[in-house]
Amino acid sequence: MANVRLTDIRKSFAKTQVLHGISLDIASGEFISLLGSSGCGKTTLLRMVAGLESVTAGGIEIDDRDVTSLPPEKRDIAMMFQSYALLPHLSVSENVRFPLRMRGIGSREEQQEKVAAALETVQLGHLSERKPRQLSGGQQQRVALARAIVSQPKVLLLDEPLSNLDARLREDMQVELIEIHQRLGLTTIFVTHDQEEALSLSDRIVLLNAGRVEQQGTPDEIYNQPATSFASNFIGSANLVPVEITDSAQGPVAKLEDGQVLHLDPNEAIRGKATLALRQEDLTLSANGMGLKAKVRTRVFLGARNRYVMSLAGHPLRALTANDLDFANGQEIALAIDPARIRVIAD
Amino acid sequence: MVRAVPGWLHIVGIIFVALTALILLAPLIVVIGVSVSESQFIAFPPNGLSLRWYQEVLSSNAYLNAAWISIQIALLVTLMATAIGGAAAIAIHRRQLPFSDTLATVFLSPLVLPTIIYAIGMLMFWSSVFGPVTPLTLALSHTAIALPYVVRTTLAVLAESDPYLEEAARTMGANRLQRLWFVVVPQCFPGLAAGAFFAFNISFDEAVLSLFLRGPTLTTLPVQIYSQLEFSPDPSVAAVSTIMIALTIVLIFVIDRMLGLTRFASA
Amino acid sequence: MNDRTENLLLALPGILLLGLAFFLPIAQMLLLSISGPEGFTLAHFVRFLSDPYYLNILWRTVRLSVLITVICALIGFPLAYIMTKVGPKLRLGLVVIVILPLMTSVVVRTFGWMVLLSRSGIVPELLRDTGLVGRTFALMQTEAAIVIGMVQVLLPFMTLSILGVLTRIDGKLEEAARTMGCSFLQTIRTVVLPLALPGIVAGSLLCFTLSASSFVTPNLLGGTRIQVLAASIYKSVTATPDWPFAAAQAVILFVGILLVLVPYIKLTGAKHG
Repeated sequence: MANVRLTDIRKSFAKTQVLHGISLDIASGEFISLLGSSGCGKTTLLRMVAGLESVTAGGIEIDDRDVTSLPPEKRDIAMMFQSYALLPHLSVSENVRFPLRMRGIGSREEQQEKVAAALETVQLGHLSERKPRQLSGGQQQRVALARAIVSQPKVLLLDEPLSNLDARLREDMQVELIEIHQRLGLTTIFVTHDQEEALSLSDRIVLLNAGRVEQQGTPDEIYNQPATSFASNFIGSANLVPVEITDSAQGPVAKLEDGQVLHLDPNEAIRGKATLALRQEDLTLSANGMGLKAKVRTRVFLGARNRYVMSLAGHPLRALTANDLDFANGQEIALAIDPARIRVIAD
Repeated sequence: MVRAVPGWLHIVGIIFVALTALILLAPLIVVIGVSVSESQFIAFPPNGLSLRWYQEVLSSNAYLNAAWISIQIALLVTLMATAIGGAAAIAIHRRQLPFSDTLATVFLSPLVLPTIIYAIGMLMFWSSVFGPVTPLTLALSHTAIALPYVVRTTLAVLAESDPYLEEAARTMGANRLQRLWFVVVPQCFPGLAAGAFFAFNISFDEAVLSLFLRGPTLTTLPVQIYSQLEFSPDPSVAAVSTIMIALTIVLIFVIDRMLGLTRFASA
Repeated sequence: MNDRTENLLLALPGILLLGLAFFLPIAQMLLLSISGPEGFTLAHFVRFLSDPYYLNILWRTVRLSVLITVICALIGFPLAYIMTKVGPKLRLGLVVIVILPLMTSVVVRTFGWMVLLSRSGIVPELLRDTGLVGRTFALMQTEAAIVIGMVQVLLPFMTLSILGVLTRIDGKLEEAARTMGCSFLQTIRTVVLPLALPGIVAGSLLCFTLSASSFVTPNLLGGTRIQVLAASIYKSVTATPDWPFAAAQAVILFVGILLVLVPYIKLTGAKHG
């Protein structure tokens, strides 16, 4: 268990700069997610913490010790790879013992005890003599997890470890990761492109965009108070509607490009050109009620819910509704939203 | 052949494959047939059935000496080619050297150059620089032409292994030597094994270099057979040849077990 | 120690071995081919290229190599194609049938052909019995014997080269072609053959190189009367012996092979890729 401090980390490959000065303080025992789409630099950043990628500029400290130029084998970390990287010629227990053996931690008996305990933690004690290729994807994943925690590393690094699992297994593993983190309290850095995964697992989310920190905060803050249009679109894939905000007798109103007007929360302070972030699940659709006029383009049946794609002021707009709502393509409908749920982002 | 092939073509295909297989196997079948003949003369189909020519071979000093030299050289070649080629394949696979591609070309080049051209060069160079040709000379030259096979089989196996294993081992505290020995070499093993069998087979069967670099005391089995064929072939040649075919069959069986023959053939 | 040093150390034994026992010998041979008693000379090349006897050998080598390569391609392509289409058991069987001769010493295989093609061997007997040829017909010591023997020796190389490419072709392409109205043979011509071309080219280059430079099979099946270039080189090394002349012939062989290969690669490369 240790804290991690990144100071103004920069990274360039050849002439392209992929990280533009990232600073982060990660507290001891914190579970932090690096969230972003592919190519945002999140994996590069994680690999730099591991020591697998050199640092172009900036510093990395683990446990208040500068490790910037230390090779990975001397950093006392553990990393779980997307492909799991299990050694195919070694059995499950030999794989889990590998870090202890390489680091010379304890006697053979002590190592075996630790291996047994780690395998118990991931409920794989009964498969310890199997070879990795004889295991299912989910089981391989657990072995990789056991191998990562067995040496009690200062920092646990997880590189999209759940992305190769099917939806059901992924949910199980999320629960397991939370429980193991609660039990062992390891400082954990988790890289993912899946916002739900980040929201459900982390103490803190760092949203990365094009090599910069877009926003960081607790899952609640990131979800409910996205600071930028990128953040609100990435988290919860909100609709972004360009507007102009002016004052009216009833308080601030947003004028859409086609002249329609939407009332905002009376306390809204932003004026002028702005972007509204409208969450898909916050929109209420009705055939002839009050609200903005939109035209239905397509309905997508999702089982429990429907998704409607509409046209509002010339922009596509998506809404999630109950599955009993039935509109025809091309139908004019009314669109309402609670002003308190509207997030206004200044341009 | 699968569905949707015209019927007549199907039949043509079967006949074609059967004929081709016959042409490919005919010389081997004939050799085996001649070896069990009772006759003094080489004849196929064989007259009578006996193992007398095998007895002849096993009591012939010329054959036994040649076989012993061939085995010694082939084993030495196997050892050298596997160790040297395996190490080179690892270096090429990692692509950390600035001239990795050139290196791969260099190690595969003995495959492209006709052996006869190399054989003359080796003979001339060795006798002008180091003096008379020794078994070691022949072993070194066989190693040079066996290296590409080891490099290729090892590279093929490495290409299929998880590219993150070494990095994972680093995060688990393995130092340079530990990574090489506990992570990389075990990955190479099937490729090294297949390469080793190829190296043995190449050296044991090789005739061109062995003919150019032959000497009164340096006659390998293929050279001994070649000399017999040029001058006075009798069915004992067939018996030796059959033993060599049998050895090849064993090697093919082992390679199939190690690596999967179909997979290897199409690699 | 850094990564570069470690990898250099790993590659070093191989580099040393190939340098000392492969590249230096070849360099030495090149040097020898242009050296005479008084230093630099092209006399050895002149001697070869101005003697009809040697020019005849050269012409025969090229002619036979082309013929052998073409026959190998004509048999090898359908064989490889069929190998990709049969079930795994039969495929393994065919692979063994192809690899077994490949891994058997060329001396042994040639011996088999000597028995088959000899005066009283099965093949001439059969041909005489069917009345296709006269009573005095013989195969041994003819160019035909060399071609038959060499095709069997080299067919596995061709088949495996083409097989390697064919197995990587997406089988769905053929099905797609069929759904678009191609007949079986049209599919082969418009889809499979163009995609297999790299394999056919690689196999042909290999076959041509190997057949132009082999002397064990031609020597034993063609006898001393019908000489090819490689056999002539062997004679210059062992019988005469005239090393500089042998070296010059080897250089001519090598240059000759390059002269055929380069336009071939360019030609097929320009058409596809």
